[in-house]
Amino acid sequence: MAKYIAQRIIYMIITLFIIATATFFLMKLLPGSPFNQVAAKLSDAQMEILLDRYGLNDPVPVQYFKYIGGLIQGDLGVSFQYNNRAVTDLIMTRIGPSAYLGAQAMIIGSILGIILGMVASIRHNSWVDYTSNILAVIGISIPSFVFAGLLQYYFAVQWRIFPPSFWEGPEYTVLPTIALMIFPMAICARFMRTEMMEVLGSDYIELARAKGVSNNKIMFKHALRNALIPVITVIGPMTVSLMTGTLVIEQIFAVPGLGEQFVRSINVNDYPMIMGTTLLFSVLFIGVVLIVDLLYGIIDPRIRLTGGKK
Amino acid sequence: MENILEVKDLHVTFDTYGGKVQAVRGVNFNLKKGETLAIVGESGSGKSVTTKALMGLIPKPAGKIPKGEIIFEGKDLAKLNDKHMQQIRGRDISMIFQDPMTSLNPTMKVGGQIMEGLIKHQKMNKAKAKDRAIELLDLVGIPNPKERINQYPHQFSGGMRQRVVIAIALACNPKILLADEPTTALDVTIQAQILELMKDIQKKTETSIVFITHDLGVVANVADRVAVMYAGKIVEIGTVDDIFYNPKHPYTWGLLGSMPTVDSKEDELIAIPGTPPDLMKPPKGDAFAARNPYAMKIDTEMEPPLFKVSDTHYAATWLLHEDAPQVEPPAAVKRRMKGFATADASDEKGEES
Repeated sequence: MAKYIAQRIIYMIITLFIIATATFFLMKLLPGSPFNQVAAKLSDAQMEILLDRYGLNDPVPVQYFKYIGGLIQGDLGVSFQYNNRAVTDLIMTRIGPSAYLGAQAMIIGSILGIILGMVASIRHNSWVDYTSNILAVIGISIPSFVFAGLLQYYFAVQWRIFPPSFWEGPEYTVLPTIALMIFPMAICARFMRTEMMEVLGSDYIELARAKGVSNNKIMFKHALRNALIPVITVIGPMTVSLMTGTLVIEQIFAVPGLGEQFVRSINVNDYPMIMGTTLLFSVLFIGVVLIVDLLYGIIDPRIRLTGGKK
Repeated sequence: MENILEVKDLHVTFDTYGGKVQAVRGVNFNLKKGETLAIVGESGSGKSVTTKALMGLIPKPAGKIPKGEIIFEGKDLAKLNDKHMQQIRGRDISMIFQDPMTSLNPTMKVGGQIMEGLIKHQKMNKAKAKDRAIELLDLVGIPNPKERINQYPHQFSGGMRQRVVIAIALACNPKILLADEPTTALDVTIQAQILELMKDIQKKTETSIVFITHDLGVVANVADRVAVMYAGKIVEIGTVDDIFYNPKHPYTWGLLGSMPTVDSKEDELIAIPGTPPDLMKPPKGDAFAARNPYAMKIDTEMEPPLFKVSDTHYAATWLLHEDAPQVEPPAAVKRRMKGFATADASDEKGEES
């Protein structure tokens, strides 16, 4: 097991290196420079000094090796927008709200989705099933920013139940969390229903019934675990869409998170911030994939990793 | 011997998009204590549905038992609700399934799957149930039961899994064991082992067994009595000797004729022509008439009742009516009947020596 994880971490590092390289060169293709906004006030000579100061006059390959060199030492560089504050520092202050929102939406969304899917499969072809089906289709096909707008309008503006924006306490998280969790909830509900239907029709469920096991135990002890295996598979990619989802949602609800910062950094060509945030998202994504793979082993003994056992 | 189970005029129907399927259309039989009753018939004849009905495992709401009684210990199982049936399933009546590759829960340890019934029905605590599970694995012939109990189904071979399924079925010393084609999915050498195991266990526990199969070779090996099912009805029922040496129903002749034996010549395999009738619209008269070379006019008009051949032997064919012409089974089937008799005799001699 430990050997397996170590191996996976080595692969993660290689993947990250490739991502860093690709992002770096793609980013250099962005038009403009970090100093566009102040360019009018500066003389050419002053501009040259600035570009020299940040190493932006070097040939791109030299910049690349300098950056990678810093990266290996854990240095993500300094931000151009915030008076030379370290990127790591900026990310640390911004990551809190994003992580909080993302985790809250992901956990509540997938649990609700799994419950919804289970109920739909138990009462299949009833009104409960049809309702959950329609909800799921709506949740999958309508983008989160539409829900965000609707939620803001009704719950914040019309009925004044929750604050419309900003980040000052738990009640401020409610609307963005709902807007974010609808997609994972819908996906989980769909998958869970399909899987449960299949599992409930399987031979081992019939055998469990033949043993006289009660319906509740059949659901939770026998069926749930087997039905969860494929659902876990979709949770990985879903987390990614949640990450990109946060970019938009944070903008709409004015949440001082990473997503909001990321969008701004791209607009002003803040190279180190773009690199830093991309790498962070990549680490999170690869990490989630690893966790999903490990979860697989816990849930499904058939693919339990025994670390080089032959 | 006393009857442990009486099935009277059992009907099972399924509602489908195409209409109502009458899967079982009036089945009657008794099961005696300690005997093995084999139910044979081709796919779709209602064998499995009958056993599922006995277990209360007909999938609802599509499946229904509109008519009939299943009397077990003075109770009519056909009318018990699911809560009561849960008490009977696994404790008094248990079941061995066809495909051991799919009938064990892949995410649960084998031990846990055996212990479940013990904890529920015999109110054992975990430690006691575990001891009993080890005992059961030993009983069904699984080596190293103490280690095997902590393994998952995918660590077992097909034959070993079927032994586990049998252990699960036997856990609470059931009075009736329903075996739904327990050897069909296994290869032949393992089949023989599993059959031996079941016979062996029956000797020890005196369980009554209902053995569903379409393999007449298996029937000859395990059964005391045989019921032949066709299109949702029992068309002939009798002891193994009755069915193999003195079959009366043309369908039974067909089954025997289509069964290869060691000394049958190539051209001797007789297939029954045609296909079973559509049970959404069961035909008028005898359901087998359309495939029956001996069919008479009355077969298309009226359903034959069960005619008594002897105290143990009944068959539902108009050929047994006193006005019917004398019809002999086809020559190949007759040769086979003789073959069974001599094979049996030599078997017995072999055992004696």
